[in-house]
Amino acid sequence: MIFGILFGFVLSRSGAADYNFIQSMFLFTSFQLYGIIGTAIAVTIPGLLLLKKFGRTIGGARIAIDMKPLNRGNALGGVLFGVGWSMAGMCPGPIFVNIGEGKLSAIAALAGALAGAALLGAVYPKLERPLHLPTAKSSHSIGVKAL
Amino acid sequence: MTLLLHGLTPMHWAAAGAAIAAITLALLFVTNRRLGISSGFEDICSLALPLPYFQRQSLLSNRTWRLPFVIGLLIGGFVSALSSGGWQPTLALGIFDERIGFGPAGKLAWMFVGGLFIGFGTRLGNGCTSGHGIFGMSNLERSSFVTTLAFMAGGIATTNLIYRVML
Repeated sequence: MIFGILFGFVLSRSGAADYNFIQSMFLFTSFQLYGIIGTAIAVTIPGLLLLKKFGRTIGGARIAIDMKPLNRGNALGGVLFGVGWSMAGMCPGPIFVNIGEGKLSAIAALAGALAGAALLGAVYPKLERPLHLPTAKSSHSIGVKAL
Repeated sequence: MTLLLHGLTPMHWAAAGAAIAAITLALLFVTNRRLGISSGFEDICSLALPLPYFQRQSLLSNRTWRLPFVIGLLIGGFVSALSSGGWQPTLALGIFDERIGFGPAGKLAWMFVGGLFIGFGTRLGNGCTSGHGIFGMSNLERSSFVTTLAFMAGGIATTNLIYRVML
């Protein structure tokens, strides 16, 4: 939960949970969010390499990363999510952050997101074959364990 | 440009990006978890829905850390507001109000529909800006490059359609 609080605070104060900043990213009128995401990736890449090389968590457990499987759901789901991100001006993390900040419209976005996830869960068995999705039983753990 | 939250000046992008990277790496190093937030929608669904999709082991085994994490996000936003001028519930939403408008009911309906796309899309694509965009891209996963490209394209197309074509 501590990590969540810190993450939420940074999203709140950086513009990542701000409707205007999200729109200006998509309109290419502000560099702020590209700078944030770019820096985050540029620092996380070497960090991950080091952690994998070290191979252990702080408690001594073996570091295991579930890789995400590639299938037709990625491109289709990605585009749909992009539409929603633009409409709401929030991606999933900032929905929670905005509710915490007191931006009431985020509550409607969360209700929609839960309904959307529930809908996906309900139709998932029908989408498995046409979109080559992993079966629900093993979804998320079907990927190769890296390290 | 300032934040909608109390008109604050945002953190520098390099500081914010480095902080996000540090939290992402600490989450893996301390708890052995890959960053990911949109699965939290499924965690919440799994509390109420008996569908097999929401009761799979790979989801339930992550619920123990992810639910506290998303509650933490909420608290983080609350603390941020409280420490910068006070917590004040509001429906105001910057350029949405200036350009799109609608009344309160219309705005909430718009947000609900946006949320539907977010919930359905992130779970179909198996991740969002955090799990694919930050962690997956940094881990050089092919599915994350595809998904990130797709949601950036979807967002750029939609916002430009709304703010440059329709309005």
